[in-house]
Amino acid sequence: MFMKIPSLKSVTKKLPITELESTDVFYIPLQAYFGTMKPLVAVGQKVQQYLPLAEGKDGSRIHAPVSGEILELNYLINENPHLVLQNDFTNTTYIDQELESATELTDKIRLAGISGSGGAGFPTHIKYKTNAIDTLIVNGVECEPYLTADYALMYDEAGEILKAAQASAQYFGAKNIVIGLEKQNKELVKIFESHSELMHGVSFKLLPNTYPQGGELQLIKAVIGKEIPKGSIPADEGVVVSNVATLLAVYKALELNQPNIDRVVTVSGEAAKHYGNFRVKIGTPIEYVLKKAGVNAANVDVVLGGPMMGKIVTDLKQPISKTSGGLLSFKKSAVKENNCIQCSYCADACPQHLMPMQFASAKFDHDTQKFIQFNVLDCIECGACQYICPSNVPLMQSISEGKSLLKSLQNSVPV
Amino acid sequence: MNKVLTHKAPFVTSKLRVSGVMLDVIITLLPLVFFSYLAHGKYSMMVIGTAVGSALITDWLVSWFFLKKPNSPLDGSAIITATLMAFTLSPYTPLYMVAFGGAMAVLFGKTLWGGVGKNRFNPALVGREFMVAFFPVVMTSASVWMAGTYTVVRGLHPFSVFGQGEIINYLNSIFYNTNGALGEYSIVFLALAGIYLVARRRIGWQIPTGLLVTFFALSLWFEDSISNYSIAGVLLGAIFMATDMPSSPNSNSGKLFYGIMIGAVAIICLAGGVKHEYMSYSILVLNGFSTKINEVFIPRTWGRKTDLPLRIKQTVLLILQIVAVSMAVLGLNYYGYIHYLVFVYLAYMIFNFHFFTQKKLQDPI
Repeated sequence: MFMKIPSLKSVTKKLPITELESTDVFYIPLQAYFGTMKPLVAVGQKVQQYLPLAEGKDGSRIHAPVSGEILELNYLINENPHLVLQNDFTNTTYIDQELESATELTDKIRLAGISGSGGAGFPTHIKYKTNAIDTLIVNGVECEPYLTADYALMYDEAGEILKAAQASAQYFGAKNIVIGLEKQNKELVKIFESHSELMHGVSFKLLPNTYPQGGELQLIKAVIGKEIPKGSIPADEGVVVSNVATLLAVYKALELNQPNIDRVVTVSGEAAKHYGNFRVKIGTPIEYVLKKAGVNAANVDVVLGGPMMGKIVTDLKQPISKTSGGLLSFKKSAVKENNCIQCSYCADACPQHLMPMQFASAKFDHDTQKFIQFNVLDCIECGACQYICPSNVPLMQSISEGKSLLKSLQNSVPV
Repeated sequence: MNKVLTHKAPFVTSKLRVSGVMLDVIITLLPLVFFSYLAHGKYSMMVIGTAVGSALITDWLVSWFFLKKPNSPLDGSAIITATLMAFTLSPYTPLYMVAFGGAMAVLFGKTLWGGVGKNRFNPALVGREFMVAFFPVVMTSASVWMAGTYTVVRGLHPFSVFGQGEIINYLNSIFYNTNGALGEYSIVFLALAGIYLVARRRIGWQIPTGLLVTFFALSLWFEDSISNYSIAGVLLGAIFMATDMPSSPNSNSGKLFYGIMIGAVAIICLAGGVKHEYMSYSILVLNGFSTKINEVFIPRTWGRKTDLPLRIKQTVLLILQIVAVSMAVLGLNYYGYIHYLVFVYLAYMIFNFHFFTQKKLQDPI
């Protein structure tokens, strides 16, 4: 593996977290990991900040980021339903008795609406329902270029993160807490260590600055030395991996009885004129964040997430969600596709040791068997192959086509 | 029609383009071209120049005619193919033959496969074998190597500053000598080219290492039963020919297996009486197995296990197939029928282009 992607983080790395003032209209995403959440409120209802607005089948929740009035329950942005909340700027807060009186950690986490902040947004209360955990891995590896939201959190709120980590470890009965950091961020070790009273059982693992070191499977290998296949459950190996932003949300639920209503977002990118790490309330439309940050969204591609795995924003009303770590802008550019020259760089770059060029040939040859033969389902879609490809062969597109092809095959075969 | 580009992740990409890969190869070829000038002056330059010119013109014409992609010659691949083909030739090869070889290398080695990257065989060697098939008398006679004795610089002695003696003479001779084909005048610079290309990751170390170790180990073993070979020729094949990206396997283990088998087949060819074409034949035979090697030598996916007994079974089967094909080539060579193989290839390429390749020209792979 030889992926050295320039980190491009220097512009925002040293910037402190800035609170972004609330907007007037929020779009609360109802899409969650296990399907769409059901609203707990009605149109016209006045709500206070922190009131639970919707709940999923698994108990996942989302809360009012501000006080105000519900305008709509099913506002579609990119075909996903959103709740529309008009801010009344009175800042009255709701006190959730259920959250305050909960004693079990997983109940607190569920009632506070915490889900993984790193990527997929898996509900944290389900992840925490496990036993026989030996090691809690704190994922402080933010390997996506440009993004510094996690770095800023660790820099500013290391103590809070450690408190949540200790509480989680105690809940699991885990003896070890390993904080994974990139070598380029090793100054954070000192910041964590300054909270000496919270350091029992804590050690650090410094990882190379290569992409995608922050992938869960790669992080677990680096810490416990064992490769576990995609789709397996880390808890079966005695480890739980938790992102630093998730742990901060756990801290707020545990110590302050505060639901998860905001997150830190890095505003950056090659076409951004203004940069920063902003604390943004969940549901804030992207156009508002960009305007406040001073970024002109005209004639640029706006990307939600990191530059490697993020998604392009087609509707600027789309809100910041619990998983949005970055808001980046790039110059619009036409991608010129050339013939694959079989250089094998994609295979060298693949953290899962796959051969991405074979997926492209499977796509163009309409060869379903080839997708299976070369294990397309083991791809974690980190984008490393596409980054390195000197010909811009549509590798990622081939992979997602292959995966959906196999999925549709599975569904059509009676079990 | 306004095609909306749905820009997909990743939104940052490496600066390296295909032309950058090609440029690195051209950089390593330049010193060897310079040594060929020192050795045979304008004769060398005429052969290399004719090959490159013919390849570029052919590439421009046939890309425009068959592929509808007129910008193709700018990627540098035709220059590399033609130079490498010229490197296997005598400096006194008649120029019309060189022009023919350069054109065939591009047309039957690359274009009719669908363009750069899609060829299954090394185009430089395809060009060379077309020359051998169509001009057998000149290409296989010793006279073409003896046709001239013109040299610009008879010898270079950079190692003589360290003293005198047999070792120094040997070192001087691997630094520069005037014998052999156009790319074979400096073993030192061939080796440096290999190191540079491996360091820059333009070629995997597995192919040249596997090939050279196997070749020289077996050549010591079978010392008595093999005819003379050229060390520089083997190096040229190991570093520049066998490593052609499209015609060699993709995985690291596959590359190692492929390199080892080329070394072994080259020894089989030498032992079977193949005179000049042992590297060509061994590389072309293994080119034909690259797709199969890719299917057998799949890297172990993260967290999963390789089915070792199955891998061994498939590898043994693959070795048997490779040996069988090599024997068949030896047989054809013995009876002097190799040129029919080239004619069959020619017909196959036209058939394949007409019925299959033509329909996939827009696909990048």
